[in-house]
Amino acid sequence: MNELLRLWKLFQPYRHWMLFGTIAAILTLLANVTLMAASGWFLTAMAAAGLAGVSMNYFTPAAMIRGSAMLRTVGRYGERLVNHEATFRLIASLRVWFYQHLEPLAPARLQQYHSGDLLSRIRADIDALDNLYVRVLVPVVVANVSILLFTLFLLLYHPFLALSGLTFLVIAGVGLPIWSQARGARPGQRIAEDEGALRAAVIDGVQGMAELTLYGATERQAQRVDALSRRMIADQTRLSSDHGLTQAAVGLCASLSLWVLLWLAIPMVNDGRLLPPQLAMLALFTLASFEAVAPLPHAFQLLGRSLAAARRLFSIVDTQPAVPEPTGLSPRPAHFDIEFADVGFSYPDAPRPAVTDIRLRVAEGSRAAVIGATGSGKSTLFNLLLRFWAPDSGTIRIGGHDILDFHGDDLRRHIAVVSQHTHLFDTTIRENLLIANPEASQGAIEAACRVAQIHDFIAELPEGYDTWVGETGVRMSGGQGRRIAVARALLKDAPILLLDEPTEGLDAATERDLMRALDKLMVGRTVLLITHRPAGLDWVDQVLVLDQGRELARGDTSVIPAAMQATLLPLRPRIESA
Amino acid sequence: MSVNAWLKSQRPLAGGALTRTLWLNTANGLLAVTQAWALAVILNDVIFEGAGLTDIRAWLWGLLGLFALRALIVWLAERSAFQAAADVRATLRDQVHRHLQRLGPSYLSGQRSGALVETLTKGIDDLEGYYARFVPAMTLVMILPLAILTVVMPVDWLAGLVLLLTAPMIPLFMILIGSGAEVRNQRQWKQLARMSAHFLDVIQGLTTLKLFGASRREVEVVARVSDEYRHSTMQVLRVAFLSSAVLEFFASVGIAIVAVFIGFRLYGLAVPVAPWLHVPEIGYLQGLFVLMLAPEFYAPLRNLGTQYHARMGAVAAAEQLIRVLETEPDRTNPGTEPLAATRPLGVRFEAVRFRYEEGREALQDLSLEIPPGQRIALVGTSGAGKTTVVNLLLGFLVPTEGRILIGAQSLSDIDLDDWRRHLAWVPQQPRLFQGSIADNIRLGRPEADLEAVREAARRARADGFIEALPDAYDSPVGERGAGFSGGQIQRIALARAFLRDAPLVILDEATANLDPESERLVQEGIDDLARDRTLLVIAHRLATVRRADRILVLDQGRVVEQGRHDELIETGGLYARMIAADGASHLAQGGIGQGIEDR
Repeated sequence: MNELLRLWKLFQPYRHWMLFGTIAAILTLLANVTLMAASGWFLTAMAAAGLAGVSMNYFTPAAMIRGSAMLRTVGRYGERLVNHEATFRLIASLRVWFYQHLEPLAPARLQQYHSGDLLSRIRADIDALDNLYVRVLVPVVVANVSILLFTLFLLLYHPFLALSGLTFLVIAGVGLPIWSQARGARPGQRIAEDEGALRAAVIDGVQGMAELTLYGATERQAQRVDALSRRMIADQTRLSSDHGLTQAAVGLCASLSLWVLLWLAIPMVNDGRLLPPQLAMLALFTLASFEAVAPLPHAFQLLGRSLAAARRLFSIVDTQPAVPEPTGLSPRPAHFDIEFADVGFSYPDAPRPAVTDIRLRVAEGSRAAVIGATGSGKSTLFNLLLRFWAPDSGTIRIGGHDILDFHGDDLRRHIAVVSQHTHLFDTTIRENLLIANPEASQGAIEAACRVAQIHDFIAELPEGYDTWVGETGVRMSGGQGRRIAVARALLKDAPILLLDEPTEGLDAATERDLMRALDKLMVGRTVLLITHRPAGLDWVDQVLVLDQGRELARGDTSVIPAAMQATLLPLRPRIESA
Repeated sequence: MSVNAWLKSQRPLAGGALTRTLWLNTANGLLAVTQAWALAVILNDVIFEGAGLTDIRAWLWGLLGLFALRALIVWLAERSAFQAAADVRATLRDQVHRHLQRLGPSYLSGQRSGALVETLTKGIDDLEGYYARFVPAMTLVMILPLAILTVVMPVDWLAGLVLLLTAPMIPLFMILIGSGAEVRNQRQWKQLARMSAHFLDVIQGLTTLKLFGASRREVEVVARVSDEYRHSTMQVLRVAFLSSAVLEFFASVGIAIVAVFIGFRLYGLAVPVAPWLHVPEIGYLQGLFVLMLAPEFYAPLRNLGTQYHARMGAVAAAEQLIRVLETEPDRTNPGTEPLAATRPLGVRFEAVRFRYEEGREALQDLSLEIPPGQRIALVGTSGAGKTTVVNLLLGFLVPTEGRILIGAQSLSDIDLDDWRRHLAWVPQQPRLFQGSIADNIRLGRPEADLEAVREAARRARADGFIEALPDAYDSPVGERGAGFSGGQIQRIALARAFLRDAPLVILDEATANLDPESERLVQEGIDDLARDRTLLVIAHRLATVRRADRILVLDQGRVVEQGRHDELIETGGLYARMIAADGASHLAQGGIGQGIEDR
């Protein structure tokens, strides 16, 4: 229930909306009950008067019936409008709230989550919270107020009638919701998980279809998706059956309440304690009064789903970023040399440290390369330098300041990265470039693309810089994507440049173009390259050779051959290894 | 096919559950009539006949039985309504997913995967409203009011007339309001799909955003996209609420008129209708009975109004589903012959042309030969057509003109499943799937035992890092192989190809992303794999093709030269120039590589 309290705090900004919506809902309900009760009284009184031949004022009750019929119609419309508007405003603000908490966790803390799972949280789980407001919060308040009013009303006639009415309203409005909430909790939790798993499997199946098709695995994938889909539906079936049961039970409570009322009230009519029109009025009043509690059991059944969704959201929101942000202002480095001082780091649950005792100093404007095989820890150095993780021991400094003293964004403002993985967003080329610098002018964009050797390609596209790229747009080849990355780095214009195998997987001509672009990019910047290829590195001022996270050699490029010998890495350019 | 027709045509999938729902709801409606009669009799007897509890005991107990029976029916009806939609949803999700698979990767490349995922998950679930709620409501609206009318007419035809005349107003107004809502609802669904696709894009690119300090700026975009979604949702809901308010209004007016007409007659006042109508007499018992039936008469109509919204959700989802289902696979006449050629396989392209779209010629008159048992390399600059050749060979694309021969058989005649059984492929960026490492290696041979999996991993030189993991081959794989480096993913994919044991192997730059040591090991593995098999290597780095039996040089969609490395160097054509450029690029990076090669 702790989640409810936390959610309530998130709902706070919308409490005026909620108050207004709740009042509208109460008025609507009362209008409806009045309509039914007044009709029963009116009809019976008219018949009795007609039979007895006495005159009666039928204008007042007739006006009451008309008035409550109008109020009911208008009230319901207004109530729904206000409450839904409030809900969707709330939901929209929750998405922003969730994103704001998700963002600091990338990438270190999000590695374990499938993007389908995260998508499911920001979409479906947040949507599931609307239930809490429209179906739980408002109806609970409405039910409480109405049960009180209804009991007081019955008390005007007889305490027993009030007691019986209250009993059945409490059974339907409190007992059934408690029961269905208890029954719905586990399946609700499971359905949330089922949905996430189904979404993840569908994403796998859609995005990985080429390989599944080729390896004849589509049938198995189809079966997997089908099994997950049926499992989700089976869990929903149980909830639905309970839903039907509580629906029937609410109806039965209303009927039984009427039934007991008849047993109690008929003798009262017989001995004159109750007037005949009052019997008809109370009978119809009883049936109508259960509208106040009817939505509650289903709402509380869904509470399980909503709370599960809330828990899934809070579990992300409560995750601490891998590196906490400092409280003070970020330092403003006067120069940009990079220093790794005895840095050691292990990933959580990893059997051995990723890097140990790393020492490296890259003077401002100089160029260094870290060479090592896959898994030797070179990517870890980048993750640490970008402050995605914090070292377990030792310090990393930029311009003499510990990078942990910087706010993440402030630190990364000084660093540009060109890597083999460039995410192109599903938008235009221009938007993709503006990510690096939203204020860049068209001239600046074109200049960067010229240097990155990609301008000519873009200019030839029919829509130029407004061409849509990414999933739905023009597919860019690996080399083109890489050059976009270089252009982004140029636009960012940061003093430190990190290169992560920038030419991997490119053909020679493309690689040559890219290197030419990079040459221009590197001018005047502090450059750190990570690579597994020891060849062709004479443009760097120093190298660090890593083996299993430890320094094997450090110095100028002349140390490479000996280091390679030591790890038995063949020091051959690729041209010979074929 | 229109959306409505399509939705109707899927009804058989709901099976008997839908019919059962209708029967149960009809029975419930008829019991409500009985209940109203019993209640009217009790009240009449007590109020006007002076009956006491003892006199009406039988009626009271009968009423109790009715209550219990109705409760049971309500429960069963809810269950079967859900079941009806559940069957439709499960079956359709499977069908649409399989249809997507038949459309294949070439269709998917033009789609937003986030939107497709949305259609397959939430879109299908939205159909529930149609089959579980709307269809029963639609059918009941034709049964119950008519049944109630046949009961009311003999009792009091004036009240019956009021009901008969007010009833058609309701669907009329609903249609009027609903026609505008349809369009808004469509827009709303597109908005939802857009929002999902956008969020997926942002989540998958979060690290990139972060590197550029743009991840905080994205907050505004998330806020804007969410707010647009709220806006369009409210537009749809406003109409839905308005239509149900109108419904409610008419129902209230109808009930009020009935009440007034009955009340006036009971009191002895003249009913305000045309004088030529001979207004029937009515007693309290009949009057109360008819008055209690009036809400029951409008209930199915009001219910239909509520469920109309559910239908609109389903219609919007169905449009997306139909769009997928009505797309035909490119290959209209799939081949059916089994592959005749035996291993090792030979492939010949004869004057193959391929166009992605008008004016975008990818291959022009491409002829090439991959003789059985040989190792062939395909080289060329980006955009030369290498990937298209691979996609044609894999059967993902179909030649616009010309043909591809496997032995003496045309690929278009061969059953694609059978053909692909003879292929192994390592794409440039292999994808790992959720499951264990062993599952991933077994992708093409699920029945393989762990020993075979290990052997394949050993030959792909992946055994070292896999066995170092705590759960070794049972270690779970995250999305796109999260937790593994590019080189490791490549080697797992290579193990996949080894385990597949196919006579034709296509390697799309298999040794990219590897450090020299792994590259050497993988190269050994590939040599191993090349024995008795036909091997097609797509090379972006020329360094990896020297050992090929033949190198095919592709330029602008045709083969411009072919031969062995030495021959091509001697010819001094495009390949020689590319090699020179390759050397130069190493030179550009430094003299060390060059120096070693010279040694």
